[in-house]
Amino acid sequence: MGNDLVVSNPLRALGLDAKAEGKESMGLVMARAGLGKTAILVQFALDSMLLGNKVLHVSIGEGIDKTRNWYDDILALLTDGEKIESIPEIMKNRMIMTFKESSFSKAMFVERLEDLVKQGIYQPECLIIDGYDFENNSKESLEDFRNIMTEQGLKIIWFSAVRHRDDERVSKAGVPAPCHEVDGLFDTILLINPDGDAINLDIIKCDIGSVDPGTSLSLDPATMLLKKV
Amino acid sequence: MNTDLSKVRNIGISAHIDSGKTTLTERILYYTKKIHAIHEVRGKDGVGAKMDSMELEKERGITIQSAATYCSWNGTDINIIDTPGHVDFTVEVERALRVLDGAVLVLCSVGGVQSQSITVNRQMTRYNVPRIAFINKCDRTGANPEKVTAQLKDKLDLNAHMMQMPIGLENDLVGVVDLVTMKAVYFDGENGDDIRIEEIPADMAEEAADRREALLEEVSMYSEELMEALLEEDEIDYALIYDAVRKGTLALEFTPVFLGSAYKNKGVQSLLDAVEQYLPSPTDVINLALDLKNEEKEFPVTNNPEDPLIMLAFKLEDGRYGQLTYVRTYQGFLNKGDTVYNRRTGKKVKIGRLCRMHSAEMVEIDSVGSGDIVALFGVDCASGDTFTSDAISCSMTSMHIPEPVISLAVIPADNKSQINMSKALNRFTKEDPTFKTFVDHETGETIISGMGELHLEVYIERMKREYEACVEVGAPQVAYRETISQIAKFNYVHKKQTGGSGQFGRVGGFLEPIEEDYEFVDKIVGGVIPREFINSCDKGFKKSMLKGSLCGAPITGVRCTINDGAYHAVDSSDVAFQLASVGAFKEGYLKANPVIMEPIMKVAVEGPSEFQGSVMGSINQRRGMIIGSTEEGTYSVIEAEVPLSEMFGYSTTLRSLTQGKAEFTMEFSTFKAVPKSVSEELVKAYQDERKNG
Repeated sequence: MGNDLVVSNPLRALGLDAKAEGKESMGLVMARAGLGKTAILVQFALDSMLLGNKVLHVSIGEGIDKTRNWYDDILALLTDGEKIESIPEIMKNRMIMTFKESSFSKAMFVERLEDLVKQGIYQPECLIIDGYDFENNSKESLEDFRNIMTEQGLKIIWFSAVRHRDDERVSKAGVPAPCHEVDGLFDTILLINPDGDAINLDIIKCDIGSVDPGTSLSLDPATMLLKKV
Repeated sequence: MNTDLSKVRNIGISAHIDSGKTTLTERILYYTKKIHAIHEVRGKDGVGAKMDSMELEKERGITIQSAATYCSWNGTDINIIDTPGHVDFTVEVERALRVLDGAVLVLCSVGGVQSQSITVNRQMTRYNVPRIAFINKCDRTGANPEKVTAQLKDKLDLNAHMMQMPIGLENDLVGVVDLVTMKAVYFDGENGDDIRIEEIPADMAEEAADRREALLEEVSMYSEELMEALLEEDEIDYALIYDAVRKGTLALEFTPVFLGSAYKNKGVQSLLDAVEQYLPSPTDVINLALDLKNEEKEFPVTNNPEDPLIMLAFKLEDGRYGQLTYVRTYQGFLNKGDTVYNRRTGKKVKIGRLCRMHSAEMVEIDSVGSGDIVALFGVDCASGDTFTSDAISCSMTSMHIPEPVISLAVIPADNKSQINMSKALNRFTKEDPTFKTFVDHETGETIISGMGELHLEVYIERMKREYEACVEVGAPQVAYRETISQIAKFNYVHKKQTGGSGQFGRVGGFLEPIEEDYEFVDKIVGGVIPREFINSCDKGFKKSMLKGSLCGAPITGVRCTINDGAYHAVDSSDVAFQLASVGAFKEGYLKANPVIMEPIMKVAVEGPSEFQGSVMGSINQRRGMIIGSTEEGTYSVIEAEVPLSEMFGYSTTLRSLTQGKAEFTMEFSTFKAVPKSVSEELVKAYQDERKNG
């Protein structure tokens, strides 16, 4: 089961693996609303969990049950209907923190993370931040996550960002708004793009992986799992 | 009683503890004229609320047993089950939901959706119970019905919409704006009896119009007529709106939200209107029975009073009138003096007296029709039994009953107490399927087991108060289990020759782990164990499963397969093969890498966010695994899985950690293997106990 999951994972295809690389990195998944950012992030998280890394999934604006369901749904697709809670070895590698949009702040999050790390409760290696507000947070605030990563022993942070159809601003590297001015902070940037009946995962930037920018992976629109490289 | 089933509502009132549901029920009884004075739950008049009929309930201000009552509102008969809020008594909530057609989910306007509301909501979903929400305590400081409605959406995933707007909040709450009729409703007079309908206050009119528009847009999804009327910008008939809301509610796709303050007598009559308008009648719900003559095939009950009778006993009570059995009828008609069959025992039962219960008071009736909830007097049965007439043989679908997770020894002080304790335990085990009792043959002690510390505490109190049984209580013990983790073979010979006829039996085969509790597989060929002794082997294995050798806990999850053996024409017997199987099990068990399993509880701690770090630390110290946390401004909820053995005394710890500002609930989740260090301690303790006799 574990092998199937690793093989089907877009992250494998990118040649990224926090533990194997031993290098801190920040990644970004962008898409329009409802196009499957969380599904991709959850695949990254599951992959990391299977490799024995601890994952902290921070969900901003979604409830804990919905986030949990994402994991169960994706794992069920990759396996024979397994649920995370029935596999204790994987389950122990996941913790979910949910925040209301209005109550999330970097300072509060750091406080919570420190609570976990300093008391030896949970030491995450992979941090997923789903729903971060790129429009109303400064570049400095985002830069701070680099420091947080070092201070708290994180290996990788994945963010998701919503791009808007009517906002045509774009960076030189081709990163759309609202992340066009902060693209330099990320080592990996992936863009989910619908293409007719298909969904592509375009690799815009991949500084630490083995895939060249410009490569596109094809995703199954029904499951958001990787179809072919 | 109405024979028109569209004018019958069987409803439950469920909520988090202290959301004020008992007060709400009291007001409902008052406004429907079943009682003529209001008594508060913790009232100074010492009478207590009507539905809290047990002494203990009155004293603690919480509802322990659900009491059933009925009332009538605008010609609709409403049967109400007032259900307990504490999670230890969840079986009461579950049983109530099983027999009810709809429910009112009561929420506190300050506390909002709390952990127990989540549990209750999950149960309602499990039984497909349509629900309406009532946001109570809008008179309290910090009342925020908007926030609570948003929580219903976010936390419970309900499509919840406010049907009303509060006119004033906290101390200034005076009434509500009805977003269907677009009128202001005030509840005047000392007890809120005088309903005054006025125009909406001018400063609220614009907001009310906007909210109504949003509401109609939402509910038009459930009614094409309403959608058409909206598109044509016609004057909207109220009936169209009621119908659309009702359709959405019955389809479990929409949750109408009402608000008020039961304590301050505001909004309760509007809620009663909503029960009548939006909650289902017995004919709106499909209930399935199992056909006992056709391999338990499911079939829907008809609700037709002319069909053969089917009714389910969902609750027993031993009151001052003797044993009362609460039943829900699903089809048919029952008259006083009729004979019915208990389909579990197969016994004929004559129905001597039929009554309607109004909390602890009884009103005798002569007959009961389909879809009703009544009490039978003096019928011997257990909770969950199905009664039918002779013409049909079926059982209502079984109820989900969790296994007990905690036990303790009770030692009667004297002979009289011993007798009374036996009576009490006999009663309690019949009333409550999650409460179990047995005698430990090694210690001779009576052990009671249940769903939590408070659950057992309440029964001990009841033993003392209602049965005058003075009992001493031992320390609570966790209900451990033992199981195996790998396949292991056995080949055991039982041989005894001590004069007279001897004993001989050889049993060979293997043990393997399974998900179910126990399975016996016979793969004997060639008659190496004669057919008449196969059952003896099964008996021997079952006997072995009662007590494991690691810590003396029952063994579960084992398949015993026999595929070899030998017998002696003279010395083999039933006993010889039973003993051979016991020996074989013992041999295989030790080789099958046995492990001790402990109950793991799903724990939710709610409290101010400032304490989140220390609460997480306290869970971690208790071998807990934090699953997640939810933060909403200054308030947060931590969900974790914690071994039950580590949860004793946690309420005291939590209180001191959080200055009494946090609370927790827990419910059984699963059994998991204990860590090696804990296992070693348990094994050592068991060995010491056996050594010391």
